[in-house]
Amino acid sequence: MKKLMLWSGHAWVALPVRFYLAYVFISACWHKILEPGLFAVDVATYQILPLSLINLAAITLPWVELGVGIMLIVGFRSRAAALMVAGMMVIFMTALGIALYNELDMSCGCFASSAAAAEDPISMMTMWRDAGWLALALYVVFFDRRSLGVDAWMQRVKEGKEKKNAS
Amino acid sequence: MAKKEALIILRDTVVFTVAFSVVGIVFNAVREKGIPLIATEAYEIYVPCPEPLGEVWPMAPDAAEVRDSRTILIDARSAEEYRDWHAPGAIHVLYDYLDPLPDEVLDRLSGEFARSGKARVVVYGDGEGKMGDTGYELGRELSGRGLRNVYVIEADVETFKRSLQP
Repeated sequence: MKKLMLWSGHAWVALPVRFYLAYVFISACWHKILEPGLFAVDVATYQILPLSLINLAAITLPWVELGVGIMLIVGFRSRAAALMVAGMMVIFMTALGIALYNELDMSCGCFASSAAAAEDPISMMTMWRDAGWLALALYVVFFDRRSLGVDAWMQRVKEGKEKKNAS
Repeated sequence: MAKKEALIILRDTVVFTVAFSVVGIVFNAVREKGIPLIATEAYEIYVPCPEPLGEVWPMAPDAAEVRDSRTILIDARSAEEYRDWHAPGAIHVLYDYLDPLPDEVLDRLSGEFARSGKARVVVYGDGEGKMGDTGYELGRELSGRGLRNVYVIEADVETFKRSLQP
């Protein structure tokens, strides 16, 4: 198991996974940032958050999604970014589960507002899709120990300085 | 080492989540389309009922298909209006938006039309064949139940009446 965890190829396997998750999250946040009012209605439709938290969630969540997407692309604190993705997926899946349990007939509001995507209703397929993204995020968290990108570059710079100081 | 690594990841997760949230709040505060940080009035949540509505296609009142024997012509106006005048051969199916036809009736009608062997259904109503017109709305209901080739006369009844005169 330890051998598997330390395999150096994980960084290369995780690279397309990171790009894919980044693509998913950046494309998901776009309409939410442009139309926070519509996204707030989407959040309210889930009927989970109290009124006082709906707007706060609608304002902050898209920016966390955008930030996570950028971090995953450039490879800066990739594992923390992937953990944020995993956390958001758990939150989304819980919200979806409650909405499905309550038999709410609604669109998920993930990639377009409900008003514009009434033909994208929530279903168990939405849950499976989110579960897939959760699995990918957890792969990056646990296996991408030497992420390619800014993290690797900073590590090399640090190691170079240490070598220089030692000599 | 692993524990330290996990703590660093957790710390970064919290720090960046807070940082991005702050960026979002600041951006929202300065932008024109910003919304209040705390909603004061409840949102009107629109959860649409699952209505099986389909597509209807416009048809000119003087189109040859209107007189075609393979056309089922439906008058979706009130019974009084139907009694006053209706297109030759038109069947009366009352459509009232506030008192919609039961699903069973719509299912039965669309089944009968589908089995009739006719080529198309043409509906006319109390408007001009656009949204809100009883013919248009009934057409969508029938189309939503799987009936193909549903058309609506895109004109008011007077124009339709004139176009049917020899």
